[in-house]
Amino acid sequence: MSDPRDNVQQEFLAEAQELVEALSRDLLLLDEAHHRKDRIDPALINEIFRSVHTLKGIAGMFGYKHVGAVAHALEDLLDDLRLGRTSVGSQLLDVLFDSVERFQRLLALEDPESPEEEAGVQAYLAAIRSIGTETSEEEGDPLDKYAIEPAVLSVLTEYEEHRLRACIRAGLRLYRLRAAFDLTAIDDSIETLRDVASNDAEIITYLPSMEGGNDDTIELVVLIASPVPEEQLNAHFEGRYGTIEAIEERTHLPTLPPRLTSIPSAAIRMEPQAEEDPGQASLRSVANSVRVDIRKLDHLMNVVGELALIRSAVNRIVDRFKGESMHRRSLMDLDRIGRGFERQLSELRSGILDVRMVPLGQVFDKLARIVRQAAREHDKQVRLVVTGASTEIDKLIVEELTDPLMHLVRNAIDHGIESAEARTQVAKSPEGTVALNAYQKGSNVVIEVEDDGAGMNAHQLREAAVSRGLLSADVSHELTRQEMLNLVFMPGLSTSSEITGLSGRGVGMDVVKTNILRMGGMISIASEQGTGTKITVTLPITLAIIRALIVTVASRTFALPITAVREAIPYVPEDVRTIQGREVITLRGETLAICDLARLFGFRGSTSKAGRFVVVGSMGNRELGFVVDDLIGQEDVIIKALGKSLASVRGFAGATDLGDQKVALVLDAPTLFTEYFDGPDALRSLETRA
Amino acid sequence: MSPTVQRATLAPHSDSETGAVAVLAVLAGNEAYGFPLSAVREILMPPPLTEVPRAPGHILGVVTVRGQIITLVDLPKLLHLEVEQEDPYGRVLLIDNGEELIGVAVDHVIQVYRMEPDQIEYASAMGAELSAFVVGVGRVPSAESSDGEDMLILIDPVSLLGE
Repeated sequence: MSDPRDNVQQEFLAEAQELVEALSRDLLLLDEAHHRKDRIDPALINEIFRSVHTLKGIAGMFGYKHVGAVAHALEDLLDDLRLGRTSVGSQLLDVLFDSVERFQRLLALEDPESPEEEAGVQAYLAAIRSIGTETSEEEGDPLDKYAIEPAVLSVLTEYEEHRLRACIRAGLRLYRLRAAFDLTAIDDSIETLRDVASNDAEIITYLPSMEGGNDDTIELVVLIASPVPEEQLNAHFEGRYGTIEAIEERTHLPTLPPRLTSIPSAAIRMEPQAEEDPGQASLRSVANSVRVDIRKLDHLMNVVGELALIRSAVNRIVDRFKGESMHRRSLMDLDRIGRGFERQLSELRSGILDVRMVPLGQVFDKLARIVRQAAREHDKQVRLVVTGASTEIDKLIVEELTDPLMHLVRNAIDHGIESAEARTQVAKSPEGTVALNAYQKGSNVVIEVEDDGAGMNAHQLREAAVSRGLLSADVSHELTRQEMLNLVFMPGLSTSSEITGLSGRGVGMDVVKTNILRMGGMISIASEQGTGTKITVTLPITLAIIRALIVTVASRTFALPITAVREAIPYVPEDVRTIQGREVITLRGETLAICDLARLFGFRGSTSKAGRFVVVGSMGNRELGFVVDDLIGQEDVIIKALGKSLASVRGFAGATDLGDQKVALVLDAPTLFTEYFDGPDALRSLETRA
Repeated sequence: MSPTVQRATLAPHSDSETGAVAVLAVLAGNEAYGFPLSAVREILMPPPLTEVPRAPGHILGVVTVRGQIITLVDLPKLLHLEVEQEDPYGRVLLIDNGEELIGVAVDHVIQVYRMEPDQIEYASAMGAELSAFVVGVGRVPSAESSDGEDMLILIDPVSLLGE
């Protein structure tokens, strides 16, 4: 850590990673526009060009030769694209998308300059070069169409000239705007002008006019291209900058139709939410953000915890002096100051928490690439629909989430979505849909991965489990359909897709589940054969600090994460019935399984006491009532890990300091749920029935 | 003896020249134990204990020391000795086992001894089960004992609850 070279290296890697992520995001937008045959926004191509250009620059500075070489070749290619010497097509898009993988690979390598990489890089460079430039086969210069002053034309840059030609060729009209700008604020004003224009028009160039202007202002001639008529454009600008006038056409030439491009065999498009503008967001983040090591935030959070403890220690001293009238005034002051301190402390705490939050869009961007890649590999048509990319979650969770979600998305395409032919045969649209939905639900974030593919065959899963010896045949016949589907999460079952010929999920659903549980989350599955599969992942928003319900069981104190609690109701022993060896009560007409924590943990002598409570826990689509003795209240607690020596003890997510050296164990609701519903005990109770 | 079995040792804590080692002697359940002093981080008054359901029998529970959660062990139980420890125990040692701090409940602290190699009798005679934790027996002079000597069960902190 202390090695400055290391730090510099880390800085480079972090910045390069950010650039590659921006590149990836922009490429997806480009792919989407291409797929929809929309007009390709030249600003987007510029954005991509700039990312690659910056990457080339910093790679050179830090001696990353391969990264630099690839970036350099890409920069040339993108320059051609910018200047219209080549056009967006599926081959070009493939090459561009490959660059993201290539960069990420090179950045992840211990030794990015190793000779083994050389061959791959060279092959890739050749692929970039294989995309030639096109000679435009136009009849006459489109610029001749308009009466633009030669003085203006002569000062256009190559890029501006290309944009001008491209716009005219695309049938856009040209307009001229003369406006005076305040010299001191000219950069901002032009930015605003671009923003206002961006929807309806493209600003080709702006040049100082020869006349007009004074000491404080400058008059600019702005050349604008737009598909909308003059009146509409003026209405759009609301006369803010003066009148926009059309540039006269010289003769009436027929405009050329826009070029048609071939439709790729497999393609995806990403549909970001309307209210989001990823381009804007990425620009802002580059300008105004700092990168922080998450461990520093963890440390700050610990300090906040310690401050809270000090605060309660001070409170206790204040309490000791209460009732002594001579200190009354000072005590009142102390009390007031104390409350102010608490307010600021909680402000600080939520501030730190807020810093840890990142939008799920970060992961979704990566997933969009996976979808594209997997669809190509299997020659399937897949559309990715994303909602809720702006939903925020703890940075640590986002990091841990990428792999499990990647598995789920891959599985949805590998095993869920059928081939176009198969889909057509069952009267589905040939294009399959994978939906990623994220939303916040209380202090949880729910992520759904849904496909409209073939769905899973529950009976096949059951048979596979029996034939692999994971389940006895007797028990297997007692399973409900949902329980059969849940078998997919059993270790040793889902890794065997080619042996069992399952239509279901592929590699490592048990691993996915383990990872999600470790983050304090839950995973559940719903699948209809022929209709599709939906996997729902429920995660806490943050790991660092949680709101917990403090309860007592046999005079011991426990904390139950509020994310897992739906409600608490009085426990009425007379209402308890036993169904299939499990205690249940009826809550609003629904059967609710209950679990006495005192019995679960082997505490003696607390049962059948009056005035107990049932805390109704809810995880994914399951509910379970925990019977406790008393409810103490809600509190924000910092979860601390139990030592390694307690790693084998299941059911606790950690412990928390309640102040005054009192420790409460934090119940691990996902594990307790799993233990109750799916654990060996659950299967054994089925066994004893059989 | 198979090379994979790791034997308890005090070697990392002993003086490289003389082989002598500073040992903190404590009493727990009528038995005297010795810990290498360099592994003892702190001696505390017992903090309030929170028991951990489902934990192995030799784990008394967890305590908090300046915000850190520490596992507290019952030494005689860990060594499968059939003695009842005093309740409440008098002190808690914080022992660094190389991976985490472990709390060890003891009745009281006796004193620190400097132990020469010839005062240590290695544990090969005590059976394989103990050898993971117990280095051996140390003999220290005592005024109270009839034969003028006390015996300390010497503990290797690295294997204390480590894997």
